[in-house]
Amino acid sequence: MGSGSGLGGGRRVSVLYFARSAELAGLRCETLSVPREITSLQLWEEIVKVHPRLALIRDQVVFAVRQEYVLLGDQLLVLQPGDEVAIIPPISGG
Amino acid sequence: RGCGPRSAGGSASCAGCASGWRPSWRGGDTAEQEEDGERERDEAACGARQPSAAEPARGDAGDAEDEDGARGLRERLAAELARGDSGDADEEDEDDDEEEEEGSLGFPAELPPLPARSALSAAEILRYSRQLVLPELGVRGQLRLARSSVLVVGCGGLGCPLAQYLAAAGVGRLGLVDHDVVETSNLQRQVLHGEARRGRPKARSAAAALRRLNSAVQYVPYRGALRPRSALRLVRQYDIVADCSDNVPTRYLVSDACVLAGKPLVSGSALRLEGQLAVYNYRGGPCYRCLFPRPPPPDTVTNCADGGVLGAVTGIIGCLQALEVLKIASGMGSSLSGYMLMFDALEGRFRNIKLRPRKADCAVCGDSPSVTCLQDYEAFCGSCATDKCRALQLLPGADRVSVQQYKALLDARVPHVLLDVRPPVEAEICRLPHALHIPLRSLQDRDQESLQRLQNRIGEEKQRTDDQTPLPVYVVCKLGNDSQKAVKILQELPAEEFGSVVAKDIKGGLMAWATKIDSTFPQY
Repeated sequence: MGSGSGLGGGRRVSVLYFARSAELAGLRCETLSVPREITSLQLWEEIVKVHPRLALIRDQVVFAVRQEYVLLGDQLLVLQPGDEVAIIPPISGG
Repeated sequence: RGCGPRSAGGSASCAGCASGWRPSWRGGDTAEQEEDGERERDEAACGARQPSAAEPARGDAGDAEDEDGARGLRERLAAELARGDSGDADEEDEDDDEEEEEGSLGFPAELPPLPARSALSAAEILRYSRQLVLPELGVRGQLRLARSSVLVVGCGGLGCPLAQYLAAAGVGRLGLVDHDVVETSNLQRQVLHGEARRGRPKARSAAAALRRLNSAVQYVPYRGALRPRSALRLVRQYDIVADCSDNVPTRYLVSDACVLAGKPLVSGSALRLEGQLAVYNYRGGPCYRCLFPRPPPPDTVTNCADGGVLGAVTGIIGCLQALEVLKIASGMGSSLSGYMLMFDALEGRFRNIKLRPRKADCAVCGDSPSVTCLQDYEAFCGSCATDKCRALQLLPGADRVSVQQYKALLDARVPHVLLDVRPPVEAEICRLPHALHIPLRSLQDRDQESLQRLQNRIGEEKQRTDDQTPLPVYVVCKLGNDSQKAVKILQELPAEEFGSVVAKDIKGGLMAWATKIDSTFPQY
């Protein structure tokens, strides 16, 4: 499953898909290899490369790394093996 | 039920800043007049505590609620007749009659403030003893609860358990907002409503059930949807708001109203086997818009009717909401400001996601907000403030047939292929026996095996026709939305492989089939 693997110092991170993103990705979690140092936007784009349908909800997700919100942008992330990346679209049902 | 011009209320409350939201699909003068008429009627109704017989005040009810009201009345009459037949007029009926008076006031004028209390009675001490002995709550916390009012927006899967625990705990006043009536498919999760309540307004049904649980709490049922026109006035009368709604426009409306009124918002949501809980606009934390500045495209939103939900999941989230409300109301405070608590029922796991702080440039709670009054949220979101009306119009009329037309074609034995594009789990519930089942997802993925099956079926059917006219492929789903998406995909398939076909969708899908053609076909 690894895209972005092969780069020196790649990191295998655990990507979790919730709600609509799980439907669009067709799975609920997977392990992806990504560069150890990467901006949040690049990390998102790595994931979208694997699941192009996710691009549809880019503006409506909480993107969380290590259970913490990350704005999609230039913020540099230094990833550790096994870090949890979560894509959380809001759900509105009740 | 339509979802167009009648729904716009924001522009009425603030014409200037709402104009930016005005949807292109809204009519011009006609819509405005309707809206104005509606507004005048509503304001007159809300101002007067004694509704006239000709124009009963039913809260913020617009035309939709008139329809609702008519439907509710019909269903209620039917229920009443049924009860009359069986002759078991029980306590519940008295409850309801009593409420009829109260409920018909709709959105009452200003509620009087709850009295400040300095001591609990002996009866109260006994009743709340198990929580009074909690040092975190104590008498002081209980007295605060008794002085607190909570507005519950939505008396469904979340609102029922939430209101139940708030009433049991002795909150002073509960406002209960819901525009809908109790339906059979609600009972699996909306645990305050019983079988005998079907057809009755949920706000009243909930109030009646809660009154039996704790008669000391004041219940204010609002039978009508929360609307931009009246939301602020309503929210200002309560200390805490719980968003238990089921649709995106209402979520933005409630959040904006809470920011403008300065009220904490305990927001819960649930779908399928997942739930989310957050406390917004509390102690400097973010609001809903800080996190989700732009609403999702309407066709990416799944509601409980389409996606399903397990009652225990809404129950868990509703209880967690009640817990946060009780913590805020009693003075313990919520630790969830700036966090989203996510519940994954399949995994049996909670995750606490730290959210972003308040957004300095947030449109509503930011340093220089552009939203200073409530808007037209249905226009903003491009969808209706209900989880029901989701009739997409993706195809021109010529590419669609009604269930009646399809039935006629079927009776005339016109050669065709019926393609059912629902997800496999729905096809297992019920199906038309002659339909070829290929889920929309497989068509979207251009799944080769599925396309081959379609091609084979088209080939077989074509052999039964000698003429050169294209073979019709009728596409059906549950409600007639996915079938339109499927038709668009079929229209792009290469003619050299599939031959000459003409794809059309069946309007209203199998649920229209069940209501209009075959009443024995299951509805779900």
